[in-house]
Amino acid sequence: MYKSYHNSVAAKVLFASLFCFGNLTNIAASEQKNKPTEINGVPVVWPGESREEIKKYVGEAKALVSKKVTKKYDFNGKLVIDGGVYYPIVDGKTGSYYVNELAHKTPYNKGKRATANEQKAWDIDVMPDGTGLPEGSGSVEFGDEVYEEKCLSCHGDFGAGSGLYPRLTVGNAYEMHKTLTNQRVDPDTDGPHRAFGSYWPYASTLWWYIKTGMPHQAPMSLTTEEVYALAAYILHVNEMEIEGEEVDEDYVLDREKFLKIKMPNVDGFEPNINGPKGQDNARAYFNDPVNYGNGIRCMKNCFDGEPRVQRIAFALTDFSPPLDSTKTLPVVKDEKPAHSGKANYEASCAVCHATDAMGAPAVGDKKAWEAVMKKGIDAVKKNAIHGINGMPPKGGADLTDEQVNEIVDYMIEASK
Amino acid sequence: MNKKTDMSKEELALVSETTEENSRRAFFKKTAAYSVSALAATSVVGPVNASANEHVKANPEDDPHIMEEKPWSLKFGDDVTVNLYGQPSPYEHKVTRRTTPILSSGNMRASIAVTPLQDLNGIITPNGLFFNRHHGGTPTIDPNQHRLMIHGLVEKPIVLTMDQIKRYPNVSRIHFLECPANGGPEWRGPQFNSIQFAKGFMSCAEWTGVYIKDILKDLGLKPEAQWMLAEGIDSSHMGRTIPVDKVLDDAMIVWGQNGEALRPEQGYPLRIVVPGWEANLCVKWLCRLEFASEPFYAKEETSKYTALKQTGKAIQHFYANEVNSVITSPCPEKPWTDLKKGEMVEIEGLAWSGMGTITHVDISFDGGKNWVEASLKGLVLEKAWTRFSLMHKYTGEPMLLCSRAADDAGHVQPTVKQERKAVGIEGVYHRNGIHTWEIDAKGEVTNVQILS
Repeated sequence: MYKSYHNSVAAKVLFASLFCFGNLTNIAASEQKNKPTEINGVPVVWPGESREEIKKYVGEAKALVSKKVTKKYDFNGKLVIDGGVYYPIVDGKTGSYYVNELAHKTPYNKGKRATANEQKAWDIDVMPDGTGLPEGSGSVEFGDEVYEEKCLSCHGDFGAGSGLYPRLTVGNAYEMHKTLTNQRVDPDTDGPHRAFGSYWPYASTLWWYIKTGMPHQAPMSLTTEEVYALAAYILHVNEMEIEGEEVDEDYVLDREKFLKIKMPNVDGFEPNINGPKGQDNARAYFNDPVNYGNGIRCMKNCFDGEPRVQRIAFALTDFSPPLDSTKTLPVVKDEKPAHSGKANYEASCAVCHATDAMGAPAVGDKKAWEAVMKKGIDAVKKNAIHGINGMPPKGGADLTDEQVNEIVDYMIEASK
Repeated sequence: MNKKTDMSKEELALVSETTEENSRRAFFKKTAAYSVSALAATSVVGPVNASANEHVKANPEDDPHIMEEKPWSLKFGDDVTVNLYGQPSPYEHKVTRRTTPILSSGNMRASIAVTPLQDLNGIITPNGLFFNRHHGGTPTIDPNQHRLMIHGLVEKPIVLTMDQIKRYPNVSRIHFLECPANGGPEWRGPQFNSIQFAKGFMSCAEWTGVYIKDILKDLGLKPEAQWMLAEGIDSSHMGRTIPVDKVLDDAMIVWGQNGEALRPEQGYPLRIVVPGWEANLCVKWLCRLEFASEPFYAKEETSKYTALKQTGKAIQHFYANEVNSVITSPCPEKPWTDLKKGEMVEIEGLAWSGMGTITHVDISFDGGKNWVEASLKGLVLEKAWTRFSLMHKYTGEPMLLCSRAADDAGHVQPTVKQERKAVGIEGVYHRNGIHTWEIDAKGEVTNVQILS
């Protein structure tokens, strides 16, 4: 049976007894002389330290190859790209599975040829070289308007984030890029700040993401101009430049300028997968476990002294449903027929109103709704239709006034 | 629910055809008698009420659950017409996926529901308990209207209906699917005192579908094609880039999961399964495969699913879930609080590797200082969950219990220290450091990490 975890006294002692260091960048400056090999149980790799230092901790990958298990593909003779093994068909079997070999040699020619128009309709990706990026333009100013109407309710003022919805900026992209070496080795250290400006390698991903995935409750609804404008706005709140020119409040972004965006972290990723050697670079990288870690099969006296134990410092226990291993019959509740506004509420409004994380009155929060209702039901419905504070008209959804009124009735009913 | 206990006309007809006139009369008498005793059994409260057991008098040391007649043994159960699609016993209603707000991206339409590893047996996850992660809610797709487009760097771009896809020769393979963020909240130390939340971002099923290489045979893949975009038709339009080498090895598009159609949460009617690799690559509600010479840089392979190292560089296209294991019994949800000193108990767990097949699992009772080899148990399949087992004489002494798996690709699960040295603590993804349970003198089990 589950027991709720007691915040371990031992863990607190552990944290209290540890040295308080700053982030690694700071340490690099101040502690270069007596470099500790680890901080709070986090082994530290110092700038300039060789792979040899990491190698001491990383085991070699000695694959157990045989005629049934190989390190190389039989179709191109190259090493398996992920660093793992390949199971060729030997004696009618691949690995543990029997194979009808003839079935995999027969041509089938199923399906119909995809028309050019069908491909155009579905080909929605946008690549770094501009493939899939349409002609068009949009201004920071218009982006600000669209953002306030369609994005702010989740992503917060100026893209600063809200609740658990993603932050679109963590500040100046070039400054924040410098934080990527930070490691939160103790509770007070500053971590790496990852957002579009500081972290993403290509802006094409942003365009593709906005066009096909946003707003979350209404994807594929934005015009090309709106997407360019929002991309411009997001570059602006990340304080970015294009070819030395700041994307300021008056900036107008178009396709040509978009393709000149150079992200500060474009070289921040490994392996390098671009170009004709892309797959081979990945192959070399993952076949060398020093790049990502591997253990050693030690059996006796694998470390000195007693084991150092790190216990739960801050237990996360907000589980739904709560953990419970008992075997009981479910409690049957009398179900009322669903309210006519419920389905539309779920589809269009719950994104913000399910909790108060967005600043919107949460459905089920009696006090919050009592406060709302002080304005009178007519005012509440009017606000829902025309928008109020961070909420766009009708929550940004395509609903009739009657549907909005029904939804408001449902939300009030469900919050009594 | 239909609680009818009388026999149907068809059943009575069957009985009358196969029984003598006399026994028919006896049968009706008997049925009537049982109905009366069933009523009596449910209405009488007391340690012993059984008409059938009236020849045995219950003593205090006897188990009342043996001495009492139970209502379910005295009357009919449900007809075969009840639950034509079967359901678990209502007593199992607490065995479910679970959620927690901290692991959502703002709302429950871009969130995860984790698998109750503590309640699973063997290596197959029931479809209703399969780990679920989606980015725009679970769509309800009409399979008659669903299409798969394959285009880009192929001589012959095509569109397939579901019926046409199912005409290809199918293969069935047992593979785990693991979210690369499994264990990810615990890079800086343990946070969940629960195996379900600490390790339950994964499941294992038998998938039925077609190798993509079998479809490509007829399409003329161009030599410059290096990458394949897989994209879903749900509202998130999830896309991921997969290298052609993996496509030509064992990547499948599947419609079957444990003998039935994919569940909606798993991509009904069609998803891709990329054996052993990040489950995020196994795009659900699959509608499009596009081949290209350059990678696509989709949103879930730059903004997420990249592992930032202590060097400031991030691993991208981090494919295989590396060798990993966890002890499932005991665990925080299933502790050893019922054991007595000197009793034998089985230590059991799951091991898996996205790079190949599990070859060894070792167990340590002292936090990883000394190890003994456990037995592998049941089917040992490539890129699938593998059970391991070790018999232990319970002493009641506190211990630090951990497991360490190895695979045929030559990889061994690292210690927390080894893993931190290689990649730091900010990677979020691909955490496979050795998992440890601390067991106290009462048999309670707690999630800890060993830093030695």
